[in-house]
Amino acid sequence: MGEFKVHRVRFFNYVPSGIRCVAYNNQSNRLAVSRTDGTVEIYNLSANYFQEKFFPGHESRATEALCWAKGQRLFSAGLNGEIIEYDLQALDIKYSMDAFGGPIWSMAASPSGSQLLVGCEDGSVKLFQINPDKIQFERNFDRQKSRILSLSWHPSGTHIAAGSIDYISVFDIKSGSAVHKMLVDRQYMGVSKRKCIIWGVAFLSDGTVISVDSAGKVQFWDSATGTLVKTHLVANADVQSIAVSDQEDSFVVGTAEGTVFHFQLVSVTSNSSEKQWVRTKPFQHHTHDVRTVAHSPTALISGGTDTHLVIRPLMEKVEVKNYDAALRKITFPHRRLISCSKKRQLLLFQFSHHLDLWRLGSTVATESPFYPGMTLEEKIYTNNLSLKRKNLREISCSRKAWGYPSTLQRCRSFTAAQNKGTVESMCLLAVSPDGNWLAASGTSAGVHVYSVKRLKLHCTVPAYNFPVTALAIAPKTNNLVIAHSDQQIFEYSIPDKQYTEWSRAIQKQGFHHHWLQRDTPITHIGFHPKRPAHILLHDAYMFCIIDKSLPLPNDKTLLYNPLPPTNESDVIRRRTAHAFKISKKYKPLLFMDLLDEGTLVAVERPLDDIIAQLPPPIKKKKFGT
Amino acid sequence: MVQLRPRASRAPASASAMVDEGQPASEEAEHGLLLGQPSSGAAAEPLEEDGDGDDDLDDEAPEELTFASAQAEARAEERRVRETARRDKTLLKEKRKRREELFIEQKKRKLLPDTVLQKLTTASQTNIKKSPGKLKEDKSQKKNEECEKGNESKKVKEKIQSIGQNKSYLARRLKDQDLRDSRQQAAKAFIQNSLYGPGTNRTTVNKFLSLNNKRLPVKKAAAQFLNNGWGTQKKQNAKRFKRRWMVRKMKTSKK
Repeated sequence: MGEFKVHRVRFFNYVPSGIRCVAYNNQSNRLAVSRTDGTVEIYNLSANYFQEKFFPGHESRATEALCWAKGQRLFSAGLNGEIIEYDLQALDIKYSMDAFGGPIWSMAASPSGSQLLVGCEDGSVKLFQINPDKIQFERNFDRQKSRILSLSWHPSGTHIAAGSIDYISVFDIKSGSAVHKMLVDRQYMGVSKRKCIIWGVAFLSDGTVISVDSAGKVQFWDSATGTLVKTHLVANADVQSIAVSDQEDSFVVGTAEGTVFHFQLVSVTSNSSEKQWVRTKPFQHHTHDVRTVAHSPTALISGGTDTHLVIRPLMEKVEVKNYDAALRKITFPHRRLISCSKKRQLLLFQFSHHLDLWRLGSTVATESPFYPGMTLEEKIYTNNLSLKRKNLREISCSRKAWGYPSTLQRCRSFTAAQNKGTVESMCLLAVSPDGNWLAASGTSAGVHVYSVKRLKLHCTVPAYNFPVTALAIAPKTNNLVIAHSDQQIFEYSIPDKQYTEWSRAIQKQGFHHHWLQRDTPITHIGFHPKRPAHILLHDAYMFCIIDKSLPLPNDKTLLYNPLPPTNESDVIRRRTAHAFKISKKYKPLLFMDLLDEGTLVAVERPLDDIIAQLPPPIKKKKFGT
Repeated sequence: MVQLRPRASRAPASASAMVDEGQPASEEAEHGLLLGQPSSGAAAEPLEEDGDGDDDLDDEAPEELTFASAQAEARAEERRVRETARRDKTLLKEKRKRREELFIEQKKRKLLPDTVLQKLTTASQTNIKKSPGKLKEDKSQKKNEECEKGNESKKVKEKIQSIGQNKSYLARRLKDQDLRDSRQQAAKAFIQNSLYGPGTNRTTVNKFLSLNNKRLPVKKAAAQFLNNGWGTQKKQNAKRFKRRWMVRKMKTSKK
């Protein structure tokens, strides 16, 4: 392999924004996640929990509620008072409609999926009809005194429960008037000064309304009589979210202390038919507030201010107990935020509002006192029209061509001239170093390779059922290396229009099971300028150099092969050596690339640095402190 | 006012006199009314007094004012008043006219030029669905122009829906925007207050990260042990004092 000098970069000040809402779609097994800065991400839970779609956000579009409606339509509503529908094919916003009720706090889609209910700041609940092309305002319900913070439909679609400040109202859909008004006790740790905010409500089909409030209580109400049935005091801080499963036998609540509680409907004694709700499992996977939870048929999903998305499969619901049933914590982005220009030794950092350009320095010369080894070249602020946030896709196009300035102009002219007739958003792009080929993967299956010289489609790699996470074209051989979200790697030769020998060999043998069990997707693929047999790839917790000339590992060998000690004989070393050289020295890695023959650049982002910049958490008293 | 010489008779003026002044009679009467018809008693006394006073000062009889001259005077007076009123009215009219013109001028300046307005009206009628490829080419050329127009268009008071042809600007009523912003601010303040405001049990990030260190078998210091923000003013003062003291010391040592 050789020795490398490593530029270890730790000052990329990447702080993800906290998760605000989560919405699970059962039919497609997809999860929509919205963050506090307005970005909406779509995760494909069946494709190894990969983030496949991404809508960049804007402060004016901060979302407070997110929901799926019939026909895979995604709606969000926020404090700017608008309901936004997202176009999942074109990765853009279809339209935004003002609800004229002030800031919108909550939104719920009817069980049939054809109506949308919105709770506003002025206390009104508005009903919208979802038409095939747009939504249309239908009517207002009775206006309440304070803001409507949470909404829930009865599964039959006849009643709704709306949680406000200090009370819950039950409305009848037909008449639009409030049938019951249930007052919630303010008592919080013995003090009743602060108002009790009902953060979440859920309506079950037997008429029970479950409410979670800021006093730390989970309460069960009977909607027929409007009375309290049961109270569970669950936390010392707010309980901020609730989600019920489809079968209505379990629900999950998230608290401000970071704990997630699972409630289940269990029979009182082993053979009785009477059931009651019991708090079964606490999970402490978060450090800050858990602002949103979702319940899929097999897993509990939670997200909050600490920016992690935690998916906890429930053991009793999972059929096959393999690696799929393990806890998944998604912390780092699944897209590449950094790109590197090898010729000019520059790094480009992509933030949400601006781009930073840094020059890599040498270890010998004296550099700026704060970041020895690097000098800040320029900060490009992208607040003006030319590089607006919703054009971040165009930034990525120019970014890929950054390392090859000669192809930058050609790339731009290519996208302008492309007239395929279908509007498709390109998720990933790769340009070959000699500038002749452009590989693009979009929402449709298959990776398309275009010839830049002739400005037309050259070939298409056969479709694979998992999305592409990284693309790169090798310098001399023009082999396209594709990494998928299920940790499969393909190598496709562009001039020959077929998979290479090595790719076929490794597909036949299959990857090592440890390789396939990695959590995070491969986000970047790099190449060695002098050795065409080497491929460098990395994910968040390891980086690996694949040597195509060495034999492939089978399941029995050790994948994470540390450097064999030099005093062992050559025979043993040769026997244990295999193609995958993995190192876990630098983690968590956001980016790693080969600058030239002897230098590597690694951009790390320690988790503590992210936590240090988050909002304050709830105080927890620990014994002995 | 016409003073009728014959004092004795209280009877109204001779018929001839009355007949003579057909028109001015009304005005006379007006004036009489305005100044108040002197009652016989009241008229008698001042006239008598005047007469007495005059007699003392000068023996001449008061001047003879014919009715006609007085009437002419009155008419002239009337005309003058009318004239001034008319002049005032016309002046006011002129002023108003000028102001209106000024406003129209200003409004015209503020509104978009005619070409753009035409384009807007035609664009709203035509089919909005165009292929995005074409739009991109148009956009790159027109974007610079539209930016400038976009700034002006914001002052247009009518709400114009976003035009599909070139979506580079959107006209909004600024009056509505203020209300919306204030509501949004209130909502944000509410959520900030309820989650992080007084009464919530929040701790600082430093304390949170240091909690683990306290419970380790070998206790470590807090994550951020030094508080560099403490006593900044004192430190600044000390620095300044030190500098001055050094200068003074140099001076005295030189001497």
